[in-house]
Amino acid sequence: MLQGVKAIAKGLGTTFKALTEPRDTIAYPEKRREYAPRFRGKHMLARDEDGHELCVGCGLCEAVCPAQAIRVVAAEAPVEKPVSWTNRYSVDYEVDLIRCIFCGMCEEACPTNAVRLTPFNELAAFERTDMVADKEELLSPPVRK
Amino acid sequence: MIRLTIDDQQISVPEGTLVADAAAKLGIEIPVYCYHQALGPLGACRICLVQVEKMPKLVTACTTAVQEGMVVHTRGALVDKGRQGVLEFLLINHPLDCPVCDKGGECFLQDYAFSYGASAGRYDEPKIHKLKDAPINEFIILDQERCVLCQRCVRFMGEYVGEEQLMLEGRGVQTVVATVDHQPVVSPFAGNVIDLCPVGALLSRPYRYKARPWNLERVESVCPHCPVGCTTLATGRDGHVVRVEGRPEADRHWGWLCDRGRFGYDFAYLPDRLLAATVEGEERSAAEAQRTVGGWIAQAVASHGPESVAILVGGQHTVQEANQIARFAREVIGTERVAMVRSTRGYLPSALNGTFEDIERADTVVYLGGDPYESVPVVHLKLRDRYRQFPDLKVIGIGSWVLTRSTLPGQDVVVEPGQEVAVLAAALKIAAGEQEAVKVLTANLGDWRPSLTGVDPAAVEDRLRELGQSLLGSEHLVLLWDGKDAEMESVLHAIKTVREERSAVLPMFGPANWRGFEQAGIDPHFDRLDSVLDDCIAGRVTTLLVFGGDLLREYPDRRRAEEALAAVERVVQEGCFAPEGQEHYHAIVPGAGWGEVVGSYVNLEGRPQTAGAPATPPGQARPVRTYLLAWAHALKKNLVFEDEGRLPGMAAAARAAVAPVTRPGDLARGDDELVMVGNTEVMEGGLPSEYLASRVAEYPGRVSPQDALRLEIGQQGGRLVVEGSDDTIMVNAAPDPRVPGGRMVLPYGIQESPLNRIGEGATVKVYRREEVGAR
Repeated sequence: MLQGVKAIAKGLGTTFKALTEPRDTIAYPEKRREYAPRFRGKHMLARDEDGHELCVGCGLCEAVCPAQAIRVVAAEAPVEKPVSWTNRYSVDYEVDLIRCIFCGMCEEACPTNAVRLTPFNELAAFERTDMVADKEELLSPPVRK
Repeated sequence: MIRLTIDDQQISVPEGTLVADAAAKLGIEIPVYCYHQALGPLGACRICLVQVEKMPKLVTACTTAVQEGMVVHTRGALVDKGRQGVLEFLLINHPLDCPVCDKGGECFLQDYAFSYGASAGRYDEPKIHKLKDAPINEFIILDQERCVLCQRCVRFMGEYVGEEQLMLEGRGVQTVVATVDHQPVVSPFAGNVIDLCPVGALLSRPYRYKARPWNLERVESVCPHCPVGCTTLATGRDGHVVRVEGRPEADRHWGWLCDRGRFGYDFAYLPDRLLAATVEGEERSAAEAQRTVGGWIAQAVASHGPESVAILVGGQHTVQEANQIARFAREVIGTERVAMVRSTRGYLPSALNGTFEDIERADTVVYLGGDPYESVPVVHLKLRDRYRQFPDLKVIGIGSWVLTRSTLPGQDVVVEPGQEVAVLAAALKIAAGEQEAVKVLTANLGDWRPSLTGVDPAAVEDRLRELGQSLLGSEHLVLLWDGKDAEMESVLHAIKTVREERSAVLPMFGPANWRGFEQAGIDPHFDRLDSVLDDCIAGRVTTLLVFGGDLLREYPDRRRAEEALAAVERVVQEGCFAPEGQEHYHAIVPGAGWGEVVGSYVNLEGRPQTAGAPATPPGQARPVRTYLLAWAHALKKNLVFEDEGRLPGMAAAARAAVAPVTRPGDLARGDDELVMVGNTEVMEGGLPSEYLASRVAEYPGRVSPQDALRLEIGQQGGRLVVEGSDDTIMVNAAPDPRVPGGRMVLPYGIQESPLNRIGEGATVKVYRREEVGAR
């Protein structure tokens, strides 16, 4: 009997001790963790200071992607209406975020530093098609809510 | 034979072989930019440096001929250092454009810099900037910064094609490739410089930024636009053809294409491409139209018998498709009324047919009726190739206008329109009248004396004797026939019979795959088509199925074709585009075309070549076999298309080898009248193309400068009203010094100016457009 009480007291002691200790979990989504600066989350397409897209649609990311998650279609922009910093730009730029393995090879291959992986990792949708990020979506980098 | 050692491997090669070629034979790669076997050595780029023992310095492999006992090292510290240095110089001013360059991924500068170049440059100085995106013409863009000045393009245009339209401009580091007088390049062979350019300096405008080498499918294909059947590589991306390149074949051709074949692939995506079916003038789905037409055929066979169904085949169908159609006609329907849609009346028996090897050995080339430059352009390049090796090549043009041109100089025998056959027969009579074949040939000519344009009547006989002797006395004769006059067949037979040496005929007429259709079991004779149309007019045919082709556009007598279509109860057309005179057709069903079905094409040599399918048919377009199987089902017949290996050759209708030619009638032409002369031009007629729209001549008709002066159309050309005996057409015509007075040369198949409304050889009155308003 005494031994039983001792055991309960020991157990409760651990519990009460843990109550005062700092917590290992966070109260997501009210609180969010800070990620390392090089964390590889959802992609973005960057622009330069003048607002021109950096992506020239060279397709190297498409070529290097081990999951074949990227599709690029390039086109020539009219001289008076440039889209990127040169006359070649990407008309379509799609990343299938279900296929993507977030290896960051696209970022590494990009000769213009246009594709970047942001720390944003809250990827969820009700439809599979919603998980294909189109160019418009990628050009407005996601921010955490 | 000379023996030498390259990289410790022994090889024997003929004298005069270059080290680069000898190494290539051993499979040893020597990098080259400027050297191309067709163009010969130049030694401009210096990348092919190799070490030859006992030579003090590195030598260029592309300019050094082999010598007995030579020992060559193509790699090694010395060679690598030399190549590295060359590449460093080439890259001094080369922009870092690879991500935006269409050549990126298939560029020899990239490849060699990767294999032989230094890992980093040592130059910090700013790069020299030159013109980017400079147009060479509407199809070709030049980026002068990327150019390595190998001069392949300049030499190809100047030396190979003989049309000097590109040149090097400036000196030293400022040297650039430019067009002569800064005028756009107009040669139809200019597109080849895109293939020739080893770097990204000369690029295709239509292909611009369309794809990258790693995300496209390159399949071996055959050009469907003319009977030459050039081998190509068709590049597909996402089910679309985005590019066509030449495909060299060892010892056969260099892979040159004309611009028609290189840029004319966009027909599949034009807005007028048939994507759905039309039944009785209303749009229907292809499946619905297929059922309806199946019902029609079943009904016609049930109520009027199988012979009431007639089938015409034309267009760009493959041999396999044509064979499926022929089998459908014979096995399912049971009709023998099958013919080919033709625009010319000639037929060439296989026994007379030559090959391109004949051109490579020819010492005399005769154009019969048409200029190969216009109808089969790549044959002109092959002739140029022969002319470069054999400058004594004799070129003779026999036609209604001057057929030879400065790039391939020759003599011309300009005859009265439509008298080519009779003049040739007369020439044979003078040169070899004692021969039995010639006697038969000229039996009907009697005392007929031809008159030759620009030749004094007294000198005509000498001129003809000379012609006849050239025809009969040459060692290797090649005749290029435009197929206009069916009687030419007899003349060709006679020439072959009389001659002891080899003579070969190459047919320049279409449809592009006519020889293939013939092998598939479709009678190519024009008489056959005529007899089917006769049956239509006489009411013996109630249902006419036209596969490909465009009867009203192609048949030489449009009025008769219209009459035939109007007499038939139901006309069904299958094809990529709606035919002319749609009101005559009761159903039009969309078909898959070139690049969308795998199949063979047989070219003018009679050589079958396979074309792959990089694209998928757009919209509801479906292959012929789909329709045929469905219609066979509607007739409750079993039709199985297995994988056809060898196709059954069809025995062409037997004819007397040499038949007498008709004596030409007297010329009756008023001073202000012109005679219409037809011409097959690869840029005109055929499949439509938006890319080539700028190349389709604005003034396709051609008259002599004197007639142009009389008609007041000026140097540029003008709009003329051509009044035939029972129809009038508008023709945009321009003066051409090659055309003699009193005739107008007009290509076949122009939609705005259909020659078949007037008829070839018809005498017409011509006015300037404004005059008509005043009358």
